[in-house]
Amino acid sequence: MKNVILLTIDALRKDVLGCYGNKSGLTPFIDSLQNKCIRFTKGQTSGPYTQASFPAILTSSYYLEYGKPKGLSPQRTLISEPLKQAGVVTAAFHSNPYICGFLGWDRGWDVFYDSMEDEVEPRIPYIRGNIIKTKANNWLSSHTKDREYKPFFLWLHYMDIHEPYMPEKKYVDMVGSSITISQDEMYDMFQNVLLKRDVSDPGKVALLKKLYDIHVREVDTYVQEFFDTLEKLGILKDSVIIITNDHGDEFNEHGGLSHDDKMYSELIDMPLLIYDPNQDKGEICDTLVSNVDIPPTIVHLFGLKPVEGFEGHSLLPIGGYPEKGCFGEAIDQHSQRGGDIERDVYFYRERDLKVIYRANLDTWEMYDLKEDPKELNNIINTSPEAEELKSKLKPRVRRWLKE
Amino acid sequence: MTEQDKVKRCAELVEKSKAVVREVFKQFALDELAITWTGGKDSTTTLWIIRQVCQEDKIKLPKVMTIDEFDSFEEIHDFINKYTKEWNLDIEWCRNDDVIKAAGGKLNATVKVKDLNERNQAELKRISFEEEAFPFEAESYVGNHLMKTVMFSEFIERHGIKGIFQGLRRDEQPARVQDEYFEHKEAAHLIPGHTRIKPILHFTERDIWDNIMVNKIPYCILYKQGYRSLGAKTTSAIAVADVPAWEQDLEHTTERAGRRQDKEQMMDRLRKLGYM
Repeated sequence: MKNVILLTIDALRKDVLGCYGNKSGLTPFIDSLQNKCIRFTKGQTSGPYTQASFPAILTSSYYLEYGKPKGLSPQRTLISEPLKQAGVVTAAFHSNPYICGFLGWDRGWDVFYDSMEDEVEPRIPYIRGNIIKTKANNWLSSHTKDREYKPFFLWLHYMDIHEPYMPEKKYVDMVGSSITISQDEMYDMFQNVLLKRDVSDPGKVALLKKLYDIHVREVDTYVQEFFDTLEKLGILKDSVIIITNDHGDEFNEHGGLSHDDKMYSELIDMPLLIYDPNQDKGEICDTLVSNVDIPPTIVHLFGLKPVEGFEGHSLLPIGGYPEKGCFGEAIDQHSQRGGDIERDVYFYRERDLKVIYRANLDTWEMYDLKEDPKELNNIINTSPEAEELKSKLKPRVRRWLKE
Repeated sequence: MTEQDKVKRCAELVEKSKAVVREVFKQFALDELAITWTGGKDSTTTLWIIRQVCQEDKIKLPKVMTIDEFDSFEEIHDFINKYTKEWNLDIEWCRNDDVIKAAGGKLNATVKVKDLNERNQAELKRISFEEEAFPFEAESYVGNHLMKTVMFSEFIERHGIKGIFQGLRRDEQPARVQDEYFEHKEAAHLIPGHTRIKPILHFTERDIWDNIMVNKIPYCILYKQGYRSLGAKTTSAIAVADVPAWEQDLEHTTERAGRRQDKEQMMDRLRKLGYM
């Protein structure tokens, strides 16, 4: 196998994908890939928003590893670095300011496009998926022009699902939605409902979710267009493609909107597909896995030796993956002080049990995800396994102060 | 690299740029063209190369525009004035006097949006700035937009400019690796459509200095004091004090480390996404 491609989709909830049981038909293309995919059913992201999650996805390390985060610590190894060193050509195209070059995420890439120099629409401050695809297409065409091109690692990140939730009419029509509100009204919803985290009107929350779903349909078409590009260039057959999110999004499941410092399933459940052109019947993996496992998997796919400092394990070969718990952490990003490390929250999951700890409040929660998938029934005081899970999470709490 | 190799390499780099410039003169009428000049090393190199082509091909040099962002170095003004005269340039200084007036001519003063003229207010609306006031800093997001972007758009509108030369380099930022010599910008609200032309795209920072030395191209004295990248006065920092830019470790350190604009751009995007 020659190339590895990582497609990350910002704010994509696992439960909107048809291949994970959604019946609304929002992701027909991704669903159609299933016979060539390994589908992980118990993936967990290691953070509920971009900054908390991407250290895992691209550096196989946890968000608060080095205390208060200020840009990408030089102590972390970006997946691009060992790959480039090994002669793999590395390219990235995205438009999320939290992972831009200014913050240090451009290390080790041969090509790194973060859109920060480009003009964007004032209300939708990112480059759309079709442009990301065009940029990737241009690069791929020139890189693979030569039959003997060097293997590459390509990472694309789609922002389109991320608020302000203002889908274009053609995607509204595509899902056959009856929504008729104007772009101005959508923007007004963003400013006055979503930004205010106002969940008092269930009708408005439901409308936001509908707009969100339309964007999911939109991104599915971008993924399809990208696959078409690979097919046209004749490189689809030589590429393993990992599709995942960075976190989900909340629509009042736990009293909020968007993606704040919470550790419930609507934010933490991770869709994870590994598309392998040589597969012909899909495979399903029910092991608990984390997005810290993504970089070691990429390293494995290129046949390189494991990278020192990566905290995850290669997901492949499936039989070799160790049974382990999943961990995640975040801080309050909306406090007056901005990114308040003293308002920190952690989760640890084993099998179907999850504990959540808020350090500043010293409060524990525990949920049995099998019995109570909506995480509404806190069993921390009644579960016989509570102490064991707590003891496994505790050493992680504010560990940067202990060193 | 031996001195001889350096001279040869510079000649090749310049030839490549000249080919781009000659292509421009084929595609655009002279009065539809302009050159942006900041007095910095890259735009000065660009101007020098265009001037060479004009002299060799006996073409009149297109008009030059320079932006005075108010928070600017005297040394750069002196440099621009000196070579405007020496090179006999048709230059236009662009300055957003309306903003300066609203700030009472003082940096960091609070500018009330209602004190601005209609055009500046419309521009703020265009970038979704909805607050009532902002501090007057040239390289804050709002300041940068009003003092630079707006002046740029107005200039191309005023003169019906179709093609504008810029001194951008590919190695300046990883985001530019895919840039092309010609970049067409579609017309948008308050911005006329135009083509940005980047003849020195293939130069590295090291090439710029090698070429400046080999061809004895003038440069602003601030580079000698250790500045590597020049922007607004209060936001540009000396990279290494008293070590001229061309003697610094250009290959292993960042050129833009002293500049604030990148941070502002990022913060603005985050704000619009609903963070902060």
